[in-house]
Amino acid sequence: MSDTSRRKFIAATGAGVAGTVAVGGTAHAAATPRSGRAQESVVAYVADHGSSEVRLLVGEREVVLQDRDLVTRILNAAGGR
Amino acid sequence: MSSHREAPEIAKDPVADGTDTYAFVSPDDPDTVTLVANFIPLQQPNGGPNFYEFGDDVRYEIHVSNRGKGESDIVYRFKFRTEVLDDGTFLYNTGPINDIDDPTWNRPQFYSVTRLKDGRSTVLGENLRVPPVNVGKRSTPNYARLSQQAIHEIGRGRKVFAGQRADAFHVDLGSVFDLGGLRPFNSAHAFPLANMDGINSVQSYNVHTIALQVPIRQLTRNRTRPRDVNDRAAVIGVWATASRRTSRIFDPAQGKYVAHGPWEQVSRLGNPLFNEVLVPMAEKDRWNAREPRGDRRYARYVDRPELQGLLPALYPGVFPRLAAYDKPRADLNAILLTGIPEGVVDGFQNYTGPVESDMLRLNVAVPPSDDPRDLGLVGGDAAGFPNGRRINDDVVTIELRAIAGQTIPLVDPSYRPDEAASAVTDGTSNTNAAVTGAFPYLGLPGGGYQTEPGTTQAS
Repeated sequence: MSDTSRRKFIAATGAGVAGTVAVGGTAHAAATPRSGRAQESVVAYVADHGSSEVRLLVGEREVVLQDRDLVTRILNAAGGR
Repeated sequence: MSSHREAPEIAKDPVADGTDTYAFVSPDDPDTVTLVANFIPLQQPNGGPNFYEFGDDVRYEIHVSNRGKGESDIVYRFKFRTEVLDDGTFLYNTGPINDIDDPTWNRPQFYSVTRLKDGRSTVLGENLRVPPVNVGKRSTPNYARLSQQAIHEIGRGRKVFAGQRADAFHVDLGSVFDLGGLRPFNSAHAFPLANMDGINSVQSYNVHTIALQVPIRQLTRNRTRPRDVNDRAAVIGVWATASRRTSRIFDPAQGKYVAHGPWEQVSRLGNPLFNEVLVPMAEKDRWNAREPRGDRRYARYVDRPELQGLLPALYPGVFPRLAAYDKPRADLNAILLTGIPEGVVDGFQNYTGPVESDMLRLNVAVPPSDDPRDLGLVGGDAAGFPNGRRINDDVVTIELRAIAGQTIPLVDPSYRPDEAASAVTDGTSNTNAAVTGAFPYLGLPGGGYQTEPGTTQAS
């Protein structure tokens, strides 16, 4: 869990989201890639939209984040608005 | 069937669907145990052009528990890799395949075997070849030769085989799942028909087999080769699983699914028919995802099996004592969830302790039988099911009779079974390809060219 921060997650998934649905720009500062970031495809899974949990599936691993702000931003993006 | 398509989810995923698990002391090498896990049910031998094969995206495992906790003390893991030699042809093979490494087989498959024990992972074999499927007389003219070439020695007395074989299971699916019909007793059914022999629905179908032969010393908790049947260390638990990655996403650019995340178990099989006829439909998928050590939650379906209530209802007046029996089925609980303790059957036990867990339980101190009987222990042959399971054991009849009450007196001597309990059967006989008598024991798979379609009638 410690090797995946919220910023890294945004960096890893931003291109995929933009390629699927046109979404508006983010108000957050641009993320800075770290040396230990995932450098392969990643799946983010929000099983319960009312919770703070995001599961990141990368390689044969799963990283579980508790981040309500991140969940909200994913839900906003998934809504396409 | 034993576990062919036994749960809603796995029925949609045949490549990961475990069909039968076997564990027995090898009859031709009795210091070893043979572990067999079959997958991919009901293969028509002529199923080209894309014939059946193991999944590169599936993790197949055979588990051994030797400490009585229903946990994996030893895991043998099998991972497959498929190559396409010539991407300019649609053909599975571009000519006869005479040897397992012939380049005429355009889609060869390879695998690795890894043992996990005490937190350590040891690769036992890599780039081991799977044989092609039995395409037919022109493509695979000497299938026995291909099969033999696919038996690999992988060190310390172990040998392994992975590839297509003839299914060895026999059952009358068409009748059993038509309101519990047993054709030899059709006239006694609540919806009567004429009595007739059973029909083996699995006859002529193939499966994909993973077979591993291992010296007994490598499987027991204290690394011995037990000779005393009452030695607790002589009993091992065995089951097989298949796992897939948590996420599969279809990537149109590649035209295939890509996987992410950890491996999650999607299929499990220890005792034949456990998930199939004991676990309610609504719970079957979760059962497949769980480990045996948590099977206490399913004990109520063993202690009071639904089928025990159905038999007297479907066959009115045939099972009056069974209908009146109101105690928990301690006999079935022992056979399926804990093993049979010492003192219940003379000269035999396969008790693994109080942890209720669905596993085949094999007492390796019982030598192979000189006169194998397909009814196993209830037929007086302690080398057969439920002492592990041999290829030819007639597990449908054994379990039918057990549920019908034949084994209740083992734990409740006051109970007198109904006369039908020792006669009930689906009426099938073993009409599958003959076992080979040598590793990997299951018969050679039927060939595509040699296959003729069966018959079907709408009414």
